Order: sequence, then structure tokens, then C-alpha cells
Amino acid sequence: MSALKRVQQWATFARIWHVYDAKWQNPFQSSLLLKKYLMGMHKPIYHPMNDCGDHVIVINSKEIALPGDEWKKRVYFHHTGYPGGATWTLAWELHSKDPTMVIKKAVYNSMDGNLQRRYTMQRLHIFPDENVPEELMKNVSNQIRGIKPVPKRLDHYSEQEVKEFPKIIDYPKDYVLR
Amino acid sequence: MNSLLRIVKNAPNIKNIQARGVSLTTQLNLKEIREVQEGKTLTIYGETVPSPREPYLIKNENPHVCPLCALGMEVKHTDVLILSQFLRSDGCMLPKRITGLCNKQQKKISSLVTMAQKAGLMPNLNPANSKKDPSKRFQWKKYNKYFDESTIDQKKNHKKLIEFS
Ligand SMILES: [Zn+2]
Repeated sequence: MSALKRVQQWATFARIWHVYDAKWQNPFQSSLLLKKYLMGMHKPIYHPMNDCGDHVIVINSKEIALPGDEWKKRVYFHHTGYPGGATWTLAWELHSKDPTMVIKKAVYNSMDGNLQRRYTMQRLHIFPDENVPEELMKNVSNQIRGIKPVPKRLDHYSEQEVKEFPKIIDYPKDYVLR
Repeated sequence: MNSLLRIVKNAPNIKNIQARGVSLTTQLNLKEIREVQEGKTLTIYGETVPSPREPYLIKNENPHVCPLCALGMEVKHTDVLILSQFLRSDGCMLPKRITGLCNKQQKKISSLVTMAQKAGLMPNLNPANSKKDPSKRFQWKKYNKYFDESTIDQKKNHKKLIEFS
């Protein structure tokens, strides 16, 4: 086996580490993207019995965005198994208890329930902010592009940018500014 | 009842106050309210200012339609630089006679402004007693959210337009 082929062989079967910035991203749409990387479905050698999934580090999971009023409409059900042990937790309550849980459950539920699912989930590393341990971050060689553009707040634009942005309407002549 | 009538009778003449609407000097100019505190006296006056928007105004090429229809843009709720042009400094939507928009656009813009405010994208344009920082809001309101512009219902406006035409 030539040196080139040998390296190609290593590169094919090596686990790659990806980083994904979840800031202002929908966790349920992101999960459909992340599961492909976790299961290795983006690789030409993919097969359900072929253990070729990659690692994904999700950062800023605290700043995920849900559409409309879904924070108070989405409900997570849990049952302890005892009588009266059912609980219903709203998405915002779950998120305030553990800011990694919503995206974790989204990825978990996006995959089929088979024996591989638990092992695939072990390759997903979620962090509520940007503080990732150095020994994980040094493996990263790829960033997954976000699905939604991150909106910029008006108070984060400079005063000059706001002032010099093209104006659609002008004030009437007799208007009192307030 | 009699005493109440007497109070109304003795009140200062309201008619005289309203009759002072006429002025011979130029009153109609763009003004800014300024407050100056000097010791114990507070002076509030309106100062005539040039429009800060004039050099950056886009010329309306088609004067038969409103400025926003003439541009034909698809405005989203994240375009805060556009939406903030239709607001007062406390985040209130300007009325139609000041914005000069048509019925349809005025409604659409006010819906978009509501979306942007709920998503916390314009926290500096809010009433003085607001907390400004969206992450300090109450319960579910403190988390990031976004909206779909296609959920704005324009059927009602559309119907009206057909009736008029
Ligand atoms: Zn119009």
C-alpha cells in the first residue's frame, strides 16, 4: 500500500470533530442537520452497520431560538413509573433548568430508536456557552454552517450606522421629534 | 348637584383658551423638545432643528404609491434599521398621517415591529421604565425567539382593496 493510499485509508475511517454554533438556531431544524454528521450519513462509506459517525460539539446552546410562542407551548412529558408520577414541563422551564436539554432531546428524537442511538448520542457534546474544554476543542477540524442568519440588535449597531442608513420616510415639516 | 354646577360655572373660561390657535409667526417646523435645568428653574422649550434624515432620504420615484410600495422590498422582522424609521423613541409606531404609508404597508410594518420587539431586537426603543435587556424579561419571554413573516394575515386588507377598486 502506497503512502498516499495509506493516508487516504486513515482519513476515511478517522472520526472528525465538528463544531456547531447554536446561537439563534432552531434546535429542531438543527437536529436534522447534526444527526447526519453524528451518524456519518454525509460520508460515501455510510452504512447503518458501519460505525463511521463523527463527533459534534454544539456551543452556545443557551442562545437557541424557538419560533413564535413555542417556548411556552412545547411540553416535555416525563413519567417516573409510579402512580401520579407524570410531569409536564414547558420548554422554557426545561431550558431554565438545563440549557443543553432542549437541543439534546431534539437530536435524540430525530433519530430512529435502535441500539445505535445511545452510542451516537455519546458523540454529541453540548455546551451552554463558548467555554469548551481545551482537550475537546483541539480535535475540531470543521465548523458546521448555521441554518439561520443571526439577527443583529438595533443597539449593537453604531450610532453612525443607524444615522446613515438610507431612509424611506422623512418627518413632516411640522413634526415634533420625540 | 347644585354645587357641582356652580363649580363648572365658576371654572375659567375654556372657550378663550381654545381660541388662541392662530399665530402670525411660522409655527410649523420640525421641532425637538429640550429640557434645561438651571438651579430650581426647569426650562422646557421647542427648538427648530433640520431633519436628520434629509441627506439619507431615498427619493420616491413613483409618487402615486407610498414610499415603501415604490421600493418594492421584502422587509423582514430582523431588518431593524428599516423598522426603527417608523418608530418613536419609546418604540411606539408612528401614525399613518406621519409615515405616509398605505393601509396595507402600515399594517404590515406594525406587525413586523411587534415581532421585532417581542424578539428583543430593538431594546433601546422602549418606554423609559422598561428593562432594556431582553434576557431579564419575565419567564419564557427572556429566551430568543423568531417569527415567520408569512403568518401575517393580509387577507383582510386584500379584501378591502378589492372592494375599493
Ligand atoms: Zn403602499
